[in-house]
Amino acid sequence: MFRAALSASRGGICNRLLSSLSGESNVPSNLRIPPNLIGVPREKKVLPSASDLPVLRRCEENIPAHLSPVQTWLHSLESQDSEPLGIVDLHPDVFAVPVRLDILHAVEVWQRNFKRISYAKVKSRAEVSGGGKKPWRQKGSGRARHGSIRSPIWRGGGVAHGPRGPTSYYYMLPMKVRVQGLKVALTSKLTQDCLHIVDSLEIPTPDPHYLQDLVKHRQWGNSVLIVDVGEEFPQNVLQATETLKTISIIPAIGLNVHSMLKYETLVLTLDTVKFLEKKLLWHDSRFTALYPFKLPYSDWP
Amino acid sequence: MAASFRSVLMTLSPGCSFRRRIGLPVRYVVNVGACVQSEHSNVGGKGKVVESTEEYKFVERLIPPTRVPTPPKHEGPTPSGWTPPSETPPNLPYMIRRSRMHNVPVYSDIKHGNQKSTIVRKVEGDIWALDKDVKKYLQQLTGREPPTQVNEVTGSIRIKGEFDTELKEWLVKKGF
Repeated sequence: MFRAALSASRGGICNRLLSSLSGESNVPSNLRIPPNLIGVPREKKVLPSASDLPVLRRCEENIPAHLSPVQTWLHSLESQDSEPLGIVDLHPDVFAVPVRLDILHAVEVWQRNFKRISYAKVKSRAEVSGGGKKPWRQKGSGRARHGSIRSPIWRGGGVAHGPRGPTSYYYMLPMKVRVQGLKVALTSKLTQDCLHIVDSLEIPTPDPHYLQDLVKHRQWGNSVLIVDVGEEFPQNVLQATETLKTISIIPAIGLNVHSMLKYETLVLTLDTVKFLEKKLLWHDSRFTALYPFKLPYSDWP
Repeated sequence: MAASFRSVLMTLSPGCSFRRRIGLPVRYVVNVGACVQSEHSNVGGKGKVVESTEEYKFVERLIPPTRVPTPPKHEGPTPSGWTPPSETPPNLPYMIRRSRMHNVPVYSDIKHGNQKSTIVRKVEGDIWALDKDVKKYLQQLTGREPPTQVNEVTGSIRIKGEFDTELKEWLVKKGF
């Protein structure tokens, strides 16, 4: 009864009064969890090193001698209850880098701001119409001295220090910083159990509910980002994710730190892992650009 | 891509700008390394121009690579003084990787023209153990322990004083 009264008076002063009277903690309404919520606590992932399943994919790039590959499960999207198919090796210099939160923050802020152009512009005293003539003589009228009726202290006058014209917030972080941001994001996703590797994106039905049930059953999180290499995706996955907001599919070239932070879980295919390792590890042993990389080089694909 | 590159190389011959300046007619010539006449088939009586791509290999061999090559196998120091890292990483709690040009990542820094410091970068593992070892080694060398700054986040150590050659030799001797 009390809860009904609270929900009815949402957004008013009485809301705060009622909550203080009832002695509840001042938690905002969107964060309040109802006590009758049925939720299954997340199961802890079993480490693949202790199992007998075969290693289905080894790293193609060279791994430094003092490091060993990170291992994770290989899943399949064929049916909801399918067991992991095997174990997959991931390169430690992409999926087990030291987690630099400062670089992650810098790359995320850059992604938000470098595209921003603020179009705010206000008229200064020179641009407001009128105000060329001195309103009254300098001395003798008894009123304060003024030079124009559009000065900033006048009503209707121009703005003194307002936003001036379209301003661009464009800047570029060094290429290697952006690459390290991607590696840190992938590492964080893997260590926090939010990264899943899938052999291919073939699903039996184009029904969005199938994907939602699968994600809920496997406890993959509230939102899933599926990444695949290539220009063509299987039709079923495309139709299923078209109408869904929490499950999205993007090509591997579109992978970015902001999307990885926005979506809770990341699902990569084996081809995507190979592509990402190749592209991200190239930066570790490349020369500096003699001329832009858009132009041909002898070993550039 | 190949066509645009070729068009970039279809430059004027060196004398052209000079000829232009004094008002003489200018002939465009393809700048290709070797003799060309053998590849062009006979122009024939009709005066047709034959396009041949056989000479492009001379352009291709000039295009630089992007990756730093791995150095050939050497046992011990090379004549230039460069020493390859040991095959197996040394049995220590820390690891110092080589830079992309296969050099030891020890750099000297200078501030305000007189404050010299040395930076050891790319440290992985227990960085404090390396800090202790560095301090012990420099105590033996100079007789006093230099102040150091350990940055765990970036995996680097900044040492007050100019010890880059000594630290490089010491790290190479350890096998990094």
